[in-house]
Formats: sequence, structure tokens, C-alpha cells
Amino acid sequence: MFTVGLHIKRIYTLIHEEVLVLPSRIIVALFFLTLLAIPLVNQNPYLIRVIILTSIFAILAASWDFLSGFTGQMNFGHALFFGIGAYTSALLNIHFHIPPWGCVPLGAAAAVLAGLLVGIPCLRLKRTYLALTTLAFPIILMGIVFALPDLTGGELGISGLKRLSNSLVGNYYIHVVLMLTLCSLMWKITDSHTGIIFHAIREDELAVKASGINTTRYKLLAFCLSGFFAGIAGGLYAHYMRIAGPSTLEVSMSFTVVIWGVFGGMATIYGPVAAVFILFPLLEFVRFWPEYRTLIFAAIVLMVLLYMPEGLAPWIRDKTEKECPRCKVKNIATRKTCRICSASLN
Amino acid sequence: MNIIITGLITGSMLALLSIGFSLIFGVARIVNIAHTAFYMIAGYGIYLLCVRLGMGPVPGMLISILSVTFLGLLAYTFLIDKIREHEAAVLIATIALAMIFQETMMLIFTGDYLTVSPLIEGYFSLFGVKIFNQQVLSFVVALLLMAILWMLLMKTRLGLAIRSIAEDREVANLMGMNDSRLAMIAMGISVALAGFTGAVIAPLMVLSPYMWMEPLIMMMAVVVLGGLGSIKGSFIASYILGFTEALVVFMIPKGAFLKGSVALIIMIVVLLLRPEGLFGVSFEEER
Amino acid sequence: MKRMSWIANVIISAFLVIMMVFPVWARTIKIGVIGPMNFVQGKGHWNGALMGAEEINARGGIQVGKEKMKIELVKADSNEFLSLTDATNAIERLITSDKVDFIVGGFRTEAVLAMQDIAMDYKKIFMSAGAAHPELCTRVAKDYSRYKYFFRVTPFNSSYLVRTSFAHMGYVGAILKKELQLPTVKVAIVAEKAVWVDPMITAAQSVIPKMGMQIVGTWRPSAVATDVTAELAAIQKSGANLIFTIFSSSVGIPFARQAGELKIPAVQVGINVEAQKNGFWEATKGMGNYVFTTNTYVRGVEYNNLTAPFVEAYYKRFGEVPTYTADTHTAIVEALVPSIEAVGSLDADKIVAHLENREYLVPSGKVKYEKDAQGRPTHDLTWGPGYLTSLGVQWQDGKLVGVWPNKWVAAPGTPEITYKGIVPYKIPPWMKK
Repeated sequence: MFTVGLHIKRIYTLIHEEVLVLPSRIIVALFFLTLLAIPLVNQNPYLIRVIILTSIFAILAASWDFLSGFTGQMNFGHALFFGIGAYTSALLNIHFHIPPWGCVPLGAAAAVLAGLLVGIPCLRLKRTYLALTTLAFPIILMGIVFALPDLTGGELGISGLKRLSNSLVGNYYIHVVLMLTLCSLMWKITDSHTGIIFHAIREDELAVKASGINTTRYKLLAFCLSGFFAGIAGGLYAHYMRIAGPSTLEVSMSFTVVIWGVFGGMATIYGPVAAVFILFPLLEFVRFWPEYRTLIFAAIVLMVLLYMPEGLAPWIRDKTEKECPRCKVKNIATRKTCRICSASLN
Repeated sequence: MNIIITGLITGSMLALLSIGFSLIFGVARIVNIAHTAFYMIAGYGIYLLCVRLGMGPVPGMLISILSVTFLGLLAYTFLIDKIREHEAAVLIATIALAMIFQETMMLIFTGDYLTVSPLIEGYFSLFGVKIFNQQVLSFVVALLLMAILWMLLMKTRLGLAIRSIAEDREVANLMGMNDSRLAMIAMGISVALAGFTGAVIAPLMVLSPYMWMEPLIMMMAVVVLGGLGSIKGSFIASYILGFTEALVVFMIPKGAFLKGSVALIIMIVVLLLRPEGLFGVSFEEER
Repeated sequence: MKRMSWIANVIISAFLVIMMVFPVWARTIKIGVIGPMNFVQGKGHWNGALMGAEEINARGGIQVGKEKMKIELVKADSNEFLSLTDATNAIERLITSDKVDFIVGGFRTEAVLAMQDIAMDYKKIFMSAGAAHPELCTRVAKDYSRYKYFFRVTPFNSSYLVRTSFAHMGYVGAILKKELQLPTVKVAIVAEKAVWVDPMITAAQSVIPKMGMQIVGTWRPSAVATDVTAELAAIQKSGANLIFTIFSSSVGIPFARQAGELKIPAVQVGINVEAQKNGFWEATKGMGNYVFTTNTYVRGVEYNNLTAPFVEAYYKRFGEVPTYTADTHTAIVEALVPSIEAVGSLDADKIVAHLENREYLVPSGKVKYEKDAQGRPTHDLTWGPGYLTSLGVQWQDGKLVGVWPNKWVAAPGTPEITYKGIVPYKIPPWMKK
């Protein structure tokens, strides 16, 4: 009895002092809770469908940010990993009858190999050259897909795949929980030793090399991990839609991922996730104006970039939080003194 | 023989597009993804003026090019200039801009395919190969434009200023050159080139709101291969890739759709060997 | 007496009021029309369905058991050319939020495969008007209890499409041989790079020699190519007299235009979807003259007595000849409504059971649903004389006219067919020396 009470008190203190202190943490906590609670309130299949697809794309966007935001290697061909994950998973499911649970990780593994394949030529390239080269890879793969229609189904893709779960709510929870777990995992990686190195590589690669760290290994690691998560997103997508087609490799898919990433805020992980959760349902919502949909989407992106060139999440974060000059802890912007060390926050 | 001629024609088309793109990148480090979108607008402009409103082709072309240039300058001043410091944001902004142009064209002209009459109709035979007069025109125009640009860059003070900004922005600034104004001028020239391309090539193509995507990819391959920021590099690379395309179509008729992929593979291979492209200027890390 | 008439007045007025108000209470049948609405195919979907729904509503609606119900159409833009995700979202929304009872439309096969799965999940009757891939119907045979709610409205599937094109090629080849006195007709196959085309090319490569013609080359440009001068130069060099075209995408326009401008000495026969559209003449600046393609409707040609009223009414209202996607009209007027009325309810299973056994006239011929080799229903369309054959049409000086079937015998023993309004085929003047 006593220990239960103690634990409850501990959790309460934790929430009171760590979570409720900053608006960004509150938002994240609310986000988790709302997503998990939605099916208990409303089970409209259309809504569920939109959220599932948003979660899948959120994993994709986060994986892009992991690579491009953190290590600075702008990847304009992220659709490659998405497509490879989708197609591999589909092929395994159709030809070898492996259940979706197995296919998706295997598809992701294939995407990791692709990450290596793309990462190695890109080691020597800088910035814009890198971006444009990565753009080329999915296009080449698409050419191969069309050249081998017996294997890949050409422009019809591979259809007849099985879903992960046959129930509406089951699917929802699988995808949402997976998204929350994977994104948290990605965030944890960036918050660790490896993450610091990624940040450093982006800022000044020469200095990192001079410090004795093998940047090649870390750059390739970034590519592979990014490929892994994107491949999972691809596999999930293929199984949810029950078809894996060349639309997963399109240039517009790559561009859309980049838009989500930059709109949300690079090098944050939670930024792109937020961006997807705002932009994708928005695009759906604007369905009643079919001709203007893409126009409105592009206009919004443009407006946001003008006023928040670093992205949406960093802008909100800057407006709502201040960093203490003495102890470097984040405080809510309305405070006058730091909550830990009482230094003045001006 | 066919291969040579087709290669020359395709190469000239690519050259017209990529030189403009290269210019603005070299001067202002702006990757203008909407470059081919301006080309598309010029094409539609000519359609509107010549077909719908019945203007003559030459005044139609001039007005189109001028309006597209004006549009480009507007876009630059109100959009790109504000966020020039954030390279990534510029990239996305130009993508969004291209999408806006695409949707606007879709709204005004719908998704149906439209065509424009060529400036010079007809064709003639050369060594047994039939060539459209308009294609020869585009070839000649490409060479002419490049000659003019060359003279501009090499012989005039403006050209000198542009070249120095491209080489070292900070020092040029210190020497008294107004870098943002020069960037705007470079943008204007770049967009005008895109517009000109639209005017000259549109009669050979089919207009559709999505026509900006395919040339974009080939153009980027050309620019990267030739080396970003190097006009000479873009020029040569466009002919290399133009010939490659012709070769693929003739050698592998069943694989004619692969011409894009082959060009890109060549680009990647070259980059592996020489990371700055063929003639690229390797930028020192700007600290 | 006066009192009686006063009461009668009240009763009659009340009755009239109730009668006027009653239709407001009456339920409507919601039919979802899904397609790429920004493009001509989707516009055809919508226009055809609109005309059909209005016709039915004008005669009072559908008699469902004891009630008369009107049709309410719900438009959904699948955006299938650009985004598969959009298409599947659109159909799910149509079913779950808009709560439609039936769905017609769909065009791109990749999208229709995915949309079909969703419609079958909810057991809604989905009638597709545009995708020709056989897989859509083989699914019905393989898993009847799940996929039985799917029917194809148009076009007949791609293997029949191939046979029709070969008939066209044979017809034109024979004319060329006779008029130009050629020893053999040389054929160049030019087909856009797309998976649905591949089996057609393989079939063509074995059938063409059997037809007494010679293949001189096969070219596969990209489906969205805008410049095909390289291919045309090679074709001319090969000495071909007939170009067998298989185009469904935009490449059909530059090909026809550039071939016409360069006066390539070979006729174009086959499938060129862009050439079916009214805008083709303008888009090729008249250079697309003499191009021959398959088509379903053309003014002046009648399959049966339903054709002209449909085509003319559509033309009068929308200013253009209906494309085959406008057969959503058929889906509603000739397929769904009579079956609903016969069954007397909106029960999908009963309607399916009734519809699949019917043989009925439509403006483009007669519909009979096929069964596969094992006798399982596929809900695919029967092809052949007396059923659905489509037309061969040719551009002649700015007008699209029907030139095939012209004294066509499909197989020995079958009747010879010439539809009303067919005119002779014309060879381009620059080919006659």
C-alpha cells in the first residue's frame, strides 16, 4: 500500500516538475494521449484511415529529418527508401507468403542496404551536389521497375497484399503505437552521443574529423538508420494500401517529404512529425475545393517559410521558451527567473 | 548521323535551360527549382497570346518573355530574397512556387494538352534525316544566347561584377559591389533565359501543367555533371547528355524510356570520380 | 351539401399538402461518382452519370418496392493520376462519410485495384468505367464471395482490345496493299512504355506475320515523351508503311503531330487515346489528319437504337462527343436501375445476383457478363459481333468519322457487320505517289 502511494507520488512529482513545466512537453504529452484515446471516442473509418496514413508518413518524415536535418546531408531522394521498403515487403509477402509482421522489417533491411548504396557515393559530395545526386536514385530505380515488369508489376505495382490486422481499431493502434515508438526512438538517438556527433558533422565536418572521429562511419550510419525507418514506413504503407506501386518512388513523394521536413523544422524530429500531422489532414480537409487543394497547400507552405524560415516547430519553441543563461535549462517564456537556478532570464 | 543531329538539338535545348540555372546558383547560391516552371509559364504565355488572342508569334514571344522575367523578379524580391540565408528554405520555397505555378496553369488552362505553332514551320532534309526548322532555330538561338552571355560576362563591367560575386561573395561585397542587387540582376537574366527557352522550345513540345518536371531532372543532371556555377561546364555537359539520350533512343529502341535513367547514372559515375562535376568550382567551406 | 363540400375541400387540400411534402421525406439513393475530376476522364465520369441521374429522376425516380426514390449523385475527386493515397482516401470517405449506396467510376488500373479492395470491404457495388486490366475481373472469379460486388462497365478488357486492334490493322493493311500495290505491308510497332502494353506487343509479334505482314521494328518511347523525332527518323529509315500505335498517354499527340509534319510515309493505326478527344485536331495543329484509333462513340455511327439519343443528348448538353468513361450513364440507367427495380430493394447481394445474369442493350451494343473457363462469373464484358465491338475511327479533315467495322467478319461463320454511319477509310495523299 505504502509503496503504491509512493510511486503515485513520484509520478505526480515527475509530471508536475518535468512535464508541465514547458509548453512543448505538454503538447507532446497531450499528443500522445489524444492519439491513443481517439478510437475510444470516434470510430469513423475515414478519420481512422487519415490518422493511420498520417502516422506512416510521420515515420517517413522523421527519418528524413534524422538524416538531412541532423547530419546536414540533404536527401532529395528519400522516396527511394520508401519505395524499396514497400516493394521488398510486397514481393516477400506475395512470393514467399511471409506474414506482414515479417515482411516489413525485411523490407526495412533492404532499405538499409540501399542507404549504404546511396551513402557511399555521397560521402565526397557537398550540399547541393549531394541533394541533386540523391534526387537521381529513385528515378533510376523507377526506370528499373518499368524495365522489369514481370518482377515488379510495372506501373500496376504489386497488388493483393495482406493488411497487418483485419480490424479497424487493431490497425489503428498498431500503426500509431509503432509511430510513437519509432519516433521516440529516433529522438532518443539524436539526444545521445551519436546525436551530438551528427549535429557536429552538420556544423563543421572538418573539426569533427580533426577531433579524431571517423565521420565516414557516422555519415553512413545516418544513411542506414534513416533508410531503416523509412523502409518500415514503406512496408507499412504497402500493406495498409494493399498495393505497392511506382507512386512510392515518385519525385513528388521525395519533394513532399522535404517540404514536411523543412516546414516542421529541421534537426528536431518532432518538427516534421508535427508538420505531417498538420499538413496531411489539411490537404484532406480541403477536399471540398478539389481544384484549389494543391494551390492552397503550396501557398501555406510558402507563407510559413516567409515568416518562419527555420520551420514551424523551432519558431513556436522560440516564442514560448527561453534558455537560462547560467544553467542552460529551458524555461517557459513567461517566467522572469530560471526555475532551477533563479538566475534572471532577460 | 541521326544520332549526331538529334544529339545536337537535344543538347541545345538542355543548354538553354541549364545555363540560366547555373548562373543564379553561381551568383547567389540559389537552387531555383522553379526554373523550369518559368519556362512552362512562358510557353503558356505564348499559347495565350498567339492562339487565344491571335497575336503574331514574335510580339507574343517578346511579351511572354518580358512578363515571365517580371514575374521572376517579383518572386525574387518578395520571396527568395527574404530567406536567402537559409538554403534549405529557399529550396522548399522554390518547390512550393513551382507547385503554385503548376496549379495556376491547371486552373486557367485545365489539364488538357495544348500546342503552339512554331515560329518557322516546315522541315527540311539533311543527310536523309528530317529536321524541323524550329529545331534548327532553337539550336541557332542557343548558340547566339550563349555567345551574348559570354560577351556579357567577360567583356562588361556587370559581367565582371557577377563573376566576382560568384567567386567570393564577401570580398566582392567589401570591394563595393552591391551583392543583393547583383543577385537580382542575375535572377532576372536567369529567368529571362528560361522564358526564352520556353518561347523557342514550346512549339516543339506539348504544353501541360506538369511539363516542368521532366526537363527539371535532366537539367539538374546537366548542371551537376557540368559543375554547379560553371557556365562552360553546363554548356558542355548538356551536349554530352544530349548525345547520350540520342544514343539510347537509337541503340535501344525498346528502352527509349530509359534515357532519363542513363543520363542520371552517367552523372553519378562522374561525380564519384570528380565530386565537383566536370568544371565545377570547388567552394571552400565558407566559415 | 355545402358542409360536405367544405369537409371534402379540407380533406383534399390536406391530402395535396401531404403529397407535396412527402417527396421531401422520401429517401434518396446515393450514387458516388469517383474519378480524376480535373481531367477529361473524370469529367466524362461525372457528365455521363449526371445525365443518367437526371433522366431517371425526370421520370420520377427508381421504383424500389413500394417507394419511388430519386438518385442523388456525390462527386469525389480521386486524383488518381497524381496520388494513389488520395484515391483510396476519397473512396473511403465516399463510403463512410457520404454514405453512398453504389459507386461508379475509376480509371487508372493501379488506383482501381486499390479502390476495389476498399469497396469490397464495405460490400458496396462498384461499377468501374475506365480500367481495362483483366486482373480486376479475375479477382471476382477467384474470390467470388468477396469481389462479387464489382462489375466492369467499360471498356472491354485489354485482351479483347488487342484483338480489336489486330482487326483494325488487318483492315487497313488490306486497303494499303490493294491501293498502293504493295507486295507485303511493312509494320512498325510503336508502343508507349507501360506494363499493360507488353502482352499486346508479344501478341502482335506473333499475329502480324500470320496476317501476311512483316514487322520492321519495335519502338517504346516514354508515355509522356514530348519529342519523338528520333523515333520517327528511325521508323522512316526502316521503310514501314503502317505504324501500329499503342498510346494511352500524352505521347499520342506529339507523335501524331510530328509524324504529320514530317510527312512520314506510313499510316498510323491502332490505339491512340489522345486522338479520341475533340482537342486532338487543335493540339496537333491539323497534322493529326488520317490518324486511326479505337473509340467507343462517334457522331453519325449507331450501334443500335439507343446510341443516337445518348450521343446526341450528350453532345447537345456538353458540347462534345462522349468518351467511354461517360458510360457511367449506362451503369446507372441500363445496369443498376432496372436491376434495383426488378429486385425491389437496395440489397446489394440480390442486385448482384440479378445483374450478373442479365443480357441488356446499351448505347454501345449489348452487355452480357462472362464466365471464365471454369464457369465462374467474372463480371467482365463479352466481346464480339452482337455484343460489344467498339469502333475504329479516323480523323478526316478535322472530323472524326467511323470507318470500322466495315463489312467485318470476326470469324468464319459469324455474321458480317457494318454499323449504320460507317464511311470508307482514307489514305493520306502523300503516300499515294
